[in-house]
Amino acid sequence: MTAMRPDLERTASALFAGAPDWTAIAESGLPRLLVPEAAGGFGGDWGDAEAVLRLAGAAALAQPLAEAMLAARLLADAGVALPAGRVTIAIAQGRVTDGRFTGSAPAVPWGGASDAVLAAVGGELLLLPPGVATPGLSPAGEPRDRLDWQGAAVLAAGRASTSLGKSGVGDSAASEPDLLALAGWARAAQVAGALGAALDLAVDHVNTRVQFGKPLARQQAVQQQLAVLASEVAAAGMASAAAAAALDAGGDCRLALAAAKLRANLAIGRGVAIAHQVHGAIGFTRDYPLQLLTRRLMGWRSEFGSEGAWADRLGALAVARGSAGLWATITG
Amino acid sequence: MVAVFALPPFAFPDDSAALRGDIRAFLARHQPASEPAARANCWAVADPEFSRALGAAGFIGMTWPEAYGGRARSAMARYIILEELLAAGAPVGAHWIADRQTGPLLLRYGSEAQRRRWLPGMAAGEVFACIGLSEPGAGSDLAGVRSRAERVAGGWRLNGQKLWTSGAHHAQVMLALLRSEAGSERQAGLSQFLIPLDTPGITIRPVIDLVGNHDFNEVFFDDVIVPEDALVGVEGDGWRQVTAELAIERSGPERYLSSHALLAALIDSAPQDPAVVRVIGELVAELWTLRQMSMATAAKLAGGEDPVVEAAIVKDLGNSFEQRLPQAIQAVLAADLDGATPLLRCLARLLLVSPSFSLRGGTREVLRGIIARGMGLR
Ligand SMILES: Cc1cc2nc3c(=O)[nH]c(=O)nc-3n(C[C@H](O)[C@H](O)[C@H](O)COP(=O)(O)OP(=O)(O)OC[C@H]3O[C@@H](n4cnc5c(N)ncnc54)[C@H](O)[C@@H]3O)c2cc1C
Repeated sequence: MTAMRPDLERTASALFAGAPDWTAIAESGLPRLLVPEAAGGFGGDWGDAEAVLRLAGAAALAQPLAEAMLAARLLADAGVALPAGRVTIAIAQGRVTDGRFTGSAPAVPWGGASDAVLAAVGGELLLLPPGVATPGLSPAGEPRDRLDWQGAAVLAAGRASTSLGKSGVGDSAASEPDLLALAGWARAAQVAGALGAALDLAVDHVNTRVQFGKPLARQQAVQQQLAVLASEVAAAGMASAAAAAALDAGGDCRLALAAAKLRANLAIGRGVAIAHQVHGAIGFTRDYPLQLLTRRLMGWRSEFGSEGAWADRLGALAVARGSAGLWATITG
Repeated sequence: MVAVFALPPFAFPDDSAALRGDIRAFLARHQPASEPAARANCWAVADPEFSRALGAAGFIGMTWPEAYGGRARSAMARYIILEELLAAGAPVGAHWIADRQTGPLLLRYGSEAQRRRWLPGMAAGEVFACIGLSEPGAGSDLAGVRSRAERVAGGWRLNGQKLWTSGAHHAQVMLALLRSEAGSERQAGLSQFLIPLDTPGITIRPVIDLVGNHDFNEVFFDDVIVPEDALVGVEGDGWRQVTAELAIERSGPERYLSSHALLAALIDSAPQDPAVVRVIGELVAELWTLRQMSMATAAKLAGGEDPVVEAAIVKDLGNSFEQRLPQAIQAVLAADLDGATPLLRCLARLLLVSPSFSLRGGTREVLRGIIARGMGLR
């Protein structure tokens, strides 16, 4: 944890509470949180980023801050100057011929509104111009645009593994580029925040809503359900924070990043249903703020790797290492 | 935000690798059973010889002061030893309660004489303890305890019955919660007593569990006379003392590793079936997360705080995980449970014993009640 974290958290909470537009986010400097000070950033660590992304999740922030943060950090690691404007991230497919990229990426957050895209293509990271956007929307109504590139000039290229070779998952040579693992982890941090905020709403609601002559909070069935939700919030939060700590410690983070994203996904599956159940019909309305959280949560669950995709990779890693090797990795 | 689990992640200091190496070397010399079923739920498997060897090597009571046979190590050093023993499936059941619960309780509330008398033997892996809380009429509602202690000249006379007492047949002492004030009700008038089980008037009868194991017992007290100093801590303060005792027992690695032998055996069978590999991945993500939660809670305990809600969360999630593990594996394994392979024997064993994981040490419902109260719901 860097010394600035408490200040950072205060600043971020205040900023996010006002439903900021991208200009406000950019002016706050938060997209450059993970960039070293020497390169014009805040010099924050991964734990700082986790704390900010958690707050963004809790505030249902409708801006691609996580994406911009990761892009800025990876570009800084690669020694590439951060382009002006909004930079998002994409998991793309395609090929580079003579410095020109032809390919596509599905569901790119704010793809059409971005000025540059940091794309993982196979084992490579490419900094690309915006590409041709076909608009798409997440369940929360955020842009998730398909991008197509036809012989687009690659702005910069590097091996994904140069900066992040340690954080991809899977022992096979064809492991996905590390951007995916980091993006999955960033979603996990947002999940921890959003599910925590859903718990807060639920607790407030059951304390005030009276049925059968007493607050719902007095019903043991309701209490037990909320205990389960609280435990899922705790698990998601621990997973994303511990994965951030693993990133800060250096070393092999593959298991930690994958586990954090997968555990967050499990928490969504178990937790969202409870948050809605204890709210009754009011939680099912557009006006009540629960939907701002749960619609995002349900979308994030699919993004940067489903439960199945991450479980396949973690399972393969475990089988490849054997039980003793796995235990050594977990405790190492 | 409801801060139900505001714990920073814990990371072991660099010098912990040496300690991990020490316990792995010990385990290489004293190898746990090769049969996975015998390694399953291993903290309920008693092997006094193993415990003696472990004690001689300094791995029991290792946080206790050296004056009482301990090694004055940190709580987190002990955590390393515990998780390594459990992951290896070592038969730690004989001394587990003394190391985890009874010893620390004596350090907290016991007299100097009690500590000198009992702790060195416990740390040596020679004196084992059991927990006398439950009775026929007192399960989740522990305040329903009726077994009683009456003052007599020079000591106490005990009468009543304890039930579900794990390991009473291996243990030399029981730490019992008894009603020491005649006519008292509920939480009032209870005291804790350390009772040598060879005292005349005590009868221990096995209660055989559903797989045929003799783990727990019923223990009868008929006019059992114990000396004055059998009382532990303050007379009438038993409820407060026992609540503190229960909180320390809740969040350790034994709350999510009881089924680890099965996961390990499955991984080492090098499965090819993608459905099986996927289940392994899911379980590993939960295992990794639970370990982080358990360590963070242990670190908070070690720092002198009292993370009651965090501990309840760890136990509830951990028990659910170790209970779900065998069923998740059964759901994707294409084999009948005919006991033909070590893996299937372990699976069958855990399918049957795992329902007990969310009963022992506080039921799921009781834990969730604690978590809900921690959030202000009542
Ligand atoms: C393997 C094993 C080892 C054990 N070892 C020991 C030991 O060494 N020493 C010892 O003292 N005890 C031991 N126990 C006993 C254990 O502590 C009790 O089983 C436990 O406290 C529950 O009590 P009970 O079995 O009487 O169930 P009950 O209290 O009768 O409960 C039955 C069910 O009802 C639920 N329930 C009860 N009250 C409520 C409520 N208010 N709200 C909602 N649900 C409720 C419970 O959660 C449970 O699901 C052991 C138990 C097991 C299974």
